[in-house]
Amino acid sequence: MFFYYLDLAWRSIKKTPFLSLLMVLAISIGIGITITTLNIYQMASINPAGERSSKLFEVRLWSQGLDTWSRLNQQITYQDGFNLRKSPVPVRQTPMFMTGFAVQTDDPEFTPVLENARVTDRDFFGLFSVPFLYGGAWDKQVDSEPAYQVVISEELNKQVFAGENSVGNTLYLNRKPYQVVGVTKTWNPSPKYYDVNNGAFNDAEKIFVPYSLAPTEEYQSWGNNQSWRNEPMDTYAQRLASEAHWNQYWVELDNPEQIRAYEEWLANYIEQQKLLGRFEMPDAKAEIADVAQWLKVNKVVPEDNKILVGLSALFLIVCLVNMLGLLLAKFLKRAPEIGVRRAIGASQSQIFSQHMVEVGLIGFCGGVLGLLWAWGSLSLLSAHFELEDALTQLGYSMWVLAPSIAIIAALLAGIYPAWRICSTNPSVHLKSQ
Amino acid sequence: MLQIKPILSTLMRNKSGPILLLIQIILSVSIVANASFIISERIDLMSRDSGLAESEVFDFRVYNFNPETDYGAQNGRDMTTLRNLPGVIGATSTSMTPLSGGGWMSVFTLGESEETAKETEGAAIYYGDEQMLKTLGVKLIAGRNFFEEEILQGSPNQANLGIVSQAFAKATWGDEPAVGQVFYAADFGQEPVEIIGVVETLQGAWVNNSSLENSVILNVELAFPFTKFLVRAEEGTLAQLKEAIPAALHRDNRERVVSGFKLISEHRKSAYRNHELMATVLSMMVILLLLITSLGLAGMVMFNIERRTKQIGTRRALGAKKRDIISFFLVENYIICLAGGVIGALVAVQLGQQLMSLYSLPQLELIYPLVTVAGLIVLTTIAVIVPARKAARISPAIATRSV
Repeated sequence: MFFYYLDLAWRSIKKTPFLSLLMVLAISIGIGITITTLNIYQMASINPAGERSSKLFEVRLWSQGLDTWSRLNQQITYQDGFNLRKSPVPVRQTPMFMTGFAVQTDDPEFTPVLENARVTDRDFFGLFSVPFLYGGAWDKQVDSEPAYQVVISEELNKQVFAGENSVGNTLYLNRKPYQVVGVTKTWNPSPKYYDVNNGAFNDAEKIFVPYSLAPTEEYQSWGNNQSWRNEPMDTYAQRLASEAHWNQYWVELDNPEQIRAYEEWLANYIEQQKLLGRFEMPDAKAEIADVAQWLKVNKVVPEDNKILVGLSALFLIVCLVNMLGLLLAKFLKRAPEIGVRRAIGASQSQIFSQHMVEVGLIGFCGGVLGLLWAWGSLSLLSAHFELEDALTQLGYSMWVLAPSIAIIAALLAGIYPAWRICSTNPSVHLKSQ
Repeated sequence: MLQIKPILSTLMRNKSGPILLLIQIILSVSIVANASFIISERIDLMSRDSGLAESEVFDFRVYNFNPETDYGAQNGRDMTTLRNLPGVIGATSTSMTPLSGGGWMSVFTLGESEETAKETEGAAIYYGDEQMLKTLGVKLIAGRNFFEEEILQGSPNQANLGIVSQAFAKATWGDEPAVGQVFYAADFGQEPVEIIGVVETLQGAWVNNSSLENSVILNVELAFPFTKFLVRAEEGTLAQLKEAIPAALHRDNRERVVSGFKLISEHRKSAYRNHELMATVLSMMVILLLLITSLGLAGMVMFNIERRTKQIGTRRALGAKKRDIISFFLVENYIICLAGGVIGALVAVQLGQQLMSLYSLPQLELIYPLVTVAGLIVLTTIAVIVPARKAARISPAIATRSV
C-alpha cells in the first residue's frame, strides 16, 4: 500500500510541479538555515572530555583582596598552584600555564621556530587522556626534582625529527638542551577546555615541560596575567610570590566522597592562608567546576550562536506555515478527484494516509535539498571567515537529523490539510461534475 | 470604492488560507525586525574608525631567545635597521597592536591627595617612542609629540610622559584641557605621568570592550625578550618586507625568531569576524525569509485565482474593469498585511524584550518593525500584482461557458 501511495504522491507532485517545487524549496531553505546554525552551535558546545567530563574539575580560588574583583577569577596564582599540589585527595592533579620557546635541534641548518608550550605536571597526560605515539610522560619524581625533559607532539616530531621515534633525542628550547621522553599522538581537544583563556578553539600546545622547572628556567607566561593590586614584578621571584593570576589548576575526583573531601581540604587551605594574611575577603571561598560547568562559566558557546539557533527555529516555523498554506491549496484543488475516490469506496483513513505519504515525500526531498544548502552555506562561511574547521564541518548527526526534522515538520504541517481533504463530503464534489 | 466589505466577507468565507498567511506575516515581521536590528547594530560596531592607516601598518614579533642579549640595545639597533629599509615610512617597538585582541590595559590613579584619589576608566597602554604617531598614522590635535631624548628604555614603570586619545581625555578630565594634567600609573603619588599631547582617535586591542576608544601612549621602549614592532610602509610592500625584514634582522643577530607579520586591516577582519559572521547569517536569513514569504503569497494568490475563475469572470461580465479585479486582490493582501504587521510588530517588541533580558542585546528600536512592515507591503504588492494581472485577463466568456 505504501508504495502505491508513493506512486500516487509522485504523480500528484508531477501534476502541480510549480506548487510542489515551492513547497520543497520552502522546507529545504528552512532546514538549510536551521541545520547551518545548529551545526555551528553543536560544534561549539561539544564536550571534548566525553565520559570523563564529570570527573575532571577546574579549581578557582577567591584570593583577591577586599573591594577588588567581584567574581572568581578563571585562573589562580603561582603560589596557590604550587601549594594545591600538596593535597592528598585528588586521584590526579596538575597546575599549569602557557609559555613558548624558540625550538632548535642539533642541526645548525635548522631555522629556529617559535612554538607555544605548556608548563605542567606529569598528571596532565593522565588527566586529559593524552595518547602517546612513542615513550610516555616524565617520571613522577621529576615533578619534585626538576629535570630537563620534554614531551612533544606528533606534529612537531615530524617537523623536527622527521617523524621517527625521537625518545632520548635532544631538543633545544631557548638554547637549553631537553631530553625527549615522549611523543604524543595527535591530540587537539576542541574546545581546548583545559585552558580557554586565549581562545577556546585554539590548537593544543606542541611542547610540554615540567612545572618544577619554572623557578629555575623562569618560563614567561604567554597566557593571560591578571592582577588585582599593584606589586613589583621586575624579577621572576617576585612574579612567583605575587598575587597575580596566571596559572590554571585541574584535579580528577572519582566519586562524591572525594569531591566532598576535596572541598573540605580547600576550605581548610583557605583558612590556613588567611592566618598568613592572604585571602582577605571574609567570604573567601574555593569553587570547583567540572568540564561541562567550566565550558558554561567561560561562555564557550557564544551568545550569538544561541540567538541564531532561536531565530532559525522561528524561520523554520515560517517555512512550515508557508507549506501548510500551499498544501491546503493543492489538496483542496484536488477535492473533486478525491470525491470520486471516496464514492467508489476509499475510506477516510486511506485518503488521509495517502496524503500524508505525499507530504512525507515532499518533506524528505526538502530535507535532502536542505542538507545541500547547509553544506553549501557552511563551506561558504568557512571560506569567507576562515573559521576553525571544527566549527564548520557538517556533523554526522546532521545527516540523519536534517531529513528527520524535515519529514517530521512536513508531516506536522500536513495533518490539517490532509484531514480537511479526507473529511470533505464526496457528494458536494460529485454534484458539481 | 475599495470594496472592503465584500473582500472581508470573502476572507471570512474561507478562513484557513488567510489565517495561515496572517501567522506567516506575524512571524516574518517579528523575525525580520529583530534580525535587521541586530544586523544594523553590528554594522555600526564594525564601522567605527580606528584612526589608523590600516592598510599601511603591520606588526610582527621578534623573540630574542639568547638570555645574554642586551634587549634594549638590540631593539635600538633593530629599529634603525627597520627604518632604513626601502619602503618603510615609520617603525617603532610597541607593547601592543590596535584591534589585535591582545595587549596591555590598565586603570590609572587621579587626584590631589590620597583621600580624594580615584581611578580613571581603563585604557590601552602603548609603550613606544617618538615615531609611534607617525607609524600609526594617528592625528595629533593638541600638545606635542615626544622628543627623541625623552624616550626611556627598559621597564614600563619608569614612564613619565603620555599622549592620550581624545576619548580618554574627555572621559577623564571632561572639558578641561588634557595637556599638562598628571595621572599616576600606580597608586596615588607613585609613577606620575604628565600628559603632553592628545590624538584624535586611537583604539585599543579588544573591539568588544566598552573602553575601546581609550588609549594612552607612554614614552618607554620596552626591553623584553619578546618585542613587538609596528611598521608603516607603502601599501602593497608587505609581501616583500616579510622577506626583507627577517633577513635584515638576522644579519645583525641570528639567535631570534621573527614571525607573525599581519596588517592592521587583517587584524580588524579577525577582530570583527564574529560580528561579521552574525550579520552575514542574519542577512541571509532575512533575504530568504522575505523570498519565501512572497513566493508563498504568490502561490496562494494563484491558487485563489484558479478557484475564483468563475466569480472573476462573472464580475467582469457584470461590468467590473480589469483594474477592479487587481485592486480586489491587492486590498485583500493589504488587509492581511496590515493586520499581520500590527500584531507582528507587537510580537517583535516582545521577542526583542526576551532577547534583551536573556542576552546582552540592546533594546529593539521601534523603527525596525515599522520599516519591516512597510517593506513587506511593497514586497507583497509585487507578489500579488503578477498573478492578479493574470486574473484580470480572464475573459468574461469563460465564466459563462461552463454554467
